[in-house]
Amino acid sequence: MPGLRQQRTSTRAPARHRKRTRRSLLMSIGFYLGILLFGLWILLPVWFLVLSSFTTLDQLSERPFSLIPDRITFENYYSVLTGSTGTEAFGSTDVGARLVPAIGHSLLVSSMLVCLNLLIAGWAAYGLSRYPFTGAKAFELSVIASRVVPAIAIIGPFFVAFRIFDMLDTSWALLVSYNIFTLPIAILVLKNYFDQLPREIEEAAKIDGASRMLTLWIIVVPIAKPGLVAAGVLIFLEAWGEFFYALVLTNQLTVPPLLAGFQSVQQFNWNTLAAATVMSMLPPIVLVFIFQRYVVNALTAGVGK
Amino acid sequence: MARKSDRWFGLQLAAPAGFILAALLIIPTIMTIVYSFHDVPASVSSLGDFVGFENYSIILSSRIFWNSAWVTLIFAAGFVVLSTIFGLGMALLLNESFVGQGVARALLIIPWATPWLVIGILWRWFVDGSVGGLNALLMHAHLIDDYHDFLADPSWALVMAIMAAVWRQASFAGILILSGLQTLPKELGEAAAIDGAGAWHRFSYITLPWLRSTLITVIVFNVIYAFLQFDVIFAMTQGGPGDATQVLSILIYRQLFGVTNIGIGSALSVILSLAALAGGLIVVKLVQRREAE
Repeated sequence: MPGLRQQRTSTRAPARHRKRTRRSLLMSIGFYLGILLFGLWILLPVWFLVLSSFTTLDQLSERPFSLIPDRITFENYYSVLTGSTGTEAFGSTDVGARLVPAIGHSLLVSSMLVCLNLLIAGWAAYGLSRYPFTGAKAFELSVIASRVVPAIAIIGPFFVAFRIFDMLDTSWALLVSYNIFTLPIAILVLKNYFDQLPREIEEAAKIDGASRMLTLWIIVVPIAKPGLVAAGVLIFLEAWGEFFYALVLTNQLTVPPLLAGFQSVQQFNWNTLAAATVMSMLPPIVLVFIFQRYVVNALTAGVGK
Repeated sequence: MARKSDRWFGLQLAAPAGFILAALLIIPTIMTIVYSFHDVPASVSSLGDFVGFENYSIILSSRIFWNSAWVTLIFAAGFVVLSTIFGLGMALLLNESFVGQGVARALLIIPWATPWLVIGILWRWFVDGSVGGLNALLMHAHLIDDYHDFLADPSWALVMAIMAAVWRQASFAGILILSGLQTLPKELGEAAAIDGAGAWHRFSYITLPWLRSTLITVIVFNVIYAFLQFDVIFAMTQGGPGDATQVLSILIYRQLFGVTNIGIGSALSVILSLAALAGGLIVVKLVQRREAE
């Protein structure tokens, strides 16, 4: 699998490469101008966010404010983490006081989904890959097709059902409904991964008398770790960032609807929201950076088809 | 041919996922279609009266709907075209070797790993009229004399919503296209260069055809995400100012949960799903036709 890592070998031996395709001066200038634009495009919004989270409203209100602040403060982080932002909503709860519990709920829902989905999607993907049953192809196609259905379009019945079962504003509502996004992704990623794995070891285990289920657990799971990790990260990303269902089915139980709610509160302060937003960005970005190679491979594996 | 017991085992493995997806996708889809043919009361204690296609005819004769459909189309067009082109551009840049290539590739991943809603909030304030970074930048560069409140300006609001959504999706496209480029054998380009092919010719006769299947996937994804988009617009403008950025997903949200008009909201949902499906199919069909030629 060609991944980001593999390409690095070519940067280590640039001399030979450079000799063969020497760029003209004009091309070089254009190229580095492109890289500069690329860097600005990605970094400017992020830099503005980070800057806002470490400065005060007064600093940002100067026109035009300095992009490199003369002094920074940790006050914004302190106030959202301790619940003393001074922005009251929903009775008399400070918005900041809801952030830590919301992070807890987000973590709980996301990590439980990762575990449950890896198990259920792993079974299904392994079945599709190794023991194709009648209708397996149709099953896989409908899993792919399910990704076209806009989740927004089917929220109504979920809302009604969860109200009947008195599950609105619980983690359960999200844990159940998020399966419509996460399960198809997990199945497709894992099916792709199992398809690439050599079958010989499994065959050998079977000849040695291991049952099919035992083979799956003892032989396949350990060698499928990169695929499982990639699927896990993708599930986590999806669940951690999901907004619409959390907005409709809960009262700002998880981080995204809470951040959105922040904005609609009177006398709210962008700098505190920026601090909360930075914190909400960190878990997915850190996860993706750690498992970059696995995740990128999983994303691109299905593309060739 | 697999043994019968093997097929049975495979079916057993797939059954839990199959049941969950069937229950969570098929039942709500059917219910949404059923709702769309009824005058459902706000309490949803019953289905209400069967009204046939009345919800649909109300929608199709409403100016709000056509405005929203138009906004959705502009949003989708801008989103798909810009995400694909920016993604391709970034991938081509990052495929060259240069000092800092690893860092640049890590940067490419940041927007993709950021939740959609967070991107909406980030851009909402980045282009803000009183504390926004974009205004500060433009003023530092002497491009504007005073801050401009982009999101209060109907035409700018849609442009900014598109840019915010493109910020994320172009990275996704870039990641996919970059790994497509990495499978392109270097010898192909070098051989062509020796034969005297210029950069543009190498790009259009070697690189683009090589990326064909990757680009199709990217465009199909972009089309689908264009119609699904809710988070970014909700966080940035909530559909405003007026209804300048009220895409269909926002309109559905308002119908279902703002004015609790379940029947109309459901009929809109059916229309949006069909549009997303049609958009995806059209892309696939166009590609197949070009293939046949």
